[in-house]
Amino acid sequence: MPGVTIAIGGPFLKREAERPRDVIVDPDQDLIRRVGRGDPAAVQALVARKLPRLLALAQRMLSDPVEAEDVAQEAMLRAWKQAPRWTPGKARFDTWLHRVALNLCYDRLRRRRERPTDAPPEQVYEGPAPDRGLMALDVGRRVDAALAALPDRQREAVVLCHHQGLGNIEAAAAMEISVEALESLLSRGRRALRTALADIRPGAEGE
Amino acid sequence: MKRERFEDLAGTYGADLRRWPEAERAWAERLLAHAPELRSVLDEAAALDALLDASPAPWPSQALRDRVIAAAPRPSRVPALAGVASWAGVLSPAGWSRSGVAFGAGWAAAACAGVVAGMMLTQTLTADVQADAVLYQASLSALDDVDLLG
Repeated sequence: MPGVTIAIGGPFLKREAERPRDVIVDPDQDLIRRVGRGDPAAVQALVARKLPRLLALAQRMLSDPVEAEDVAQEAMLRAWKQAPRWTPGKARFDTWLHRVALNLCYDRLRRRRERPTDAPPEQVYEGPAPDRGLMALDVGRRVDAALAALPDRQREAVVLCHHQGLGNIEAAAAMEISVEALESLLSRGRRALRTALADIRPGAEGE
Repeated sequence: MKRERFEDLAGTYGADLRRWPEAERAWAERLLAHAPELRSVLDEAAALDALLDASPAPWPSQALRDRVIAAAPRPSRVPALAGVASWAGVLSPAGWSRSGVAFGAGWAAAACAGVVAGMMLTQTLTADVQADAVLYQASLSALDDVDLLG
């Protein structure tokens, strides 16, 4: 059984789930069924569809490329185990997979807190080189440093909704919180990012 | 009140209305049509969206992809036995219960597996006998050579 169902969360989420139009349509359903039968083409397609997303999620959550690879790999291995016994209609496979990857990220973040020596070096942006303007790479690094400085749950909400493109109901389900709680985290996270990046004008990169 | 809610949603979900809660998108579009000054709220949210988009996404290495694919489920490797099972089911009398068909198919599959195993065993034994014969003949030749060489 998948670890996440759409029925969890606050009253809003339950109201949403009760509406007939909210019957879950999973775009991955056919692919998962074929993966469960060991179809090599389906395996390739699922890797192409999910592995980059999982790696990006883990990288933004952990700011460590080696740990991000470990998390992405482990999440995909769990997807292989789950595929033959996946029950369609209870949750989207993508939401379940995000939940798995996030739990793996939490484990590593918890370990870092327990053993401070495990923490990756703090991302400190030292500014662009004196002989050039703010290049796109510099902006990217600034944004990553600002994301890494957010509290974990705010960072998670921003990454799920903005970078991973999950809808509010899917993101709330993946985080096992209500939609209201998700909105609160998202709003605070974006406000903090706006403050942290206030000195960068849109389109300043490449000048 | 409506304007406040619009600002809250833009601050929470960004400038792209497709990211907003489904139930509020149509309302937001209607409001925007009647109050074009709210575009500035979206412009502000769009600036942060553009910065977030600048965060580089890593791309999986070939080695990582290979490791993941190597651990993927494999197709079933007993298509022949599955065929025998289907065949046994077809031959079953119409009145048999489903479990009876499955039972018969199981026996047919097991019998087929026995035949295959028997053939392999026979081949192995035959090979052993042939090897023994070759060694025996070689030893005879060796003796002959010794005899000849004196």
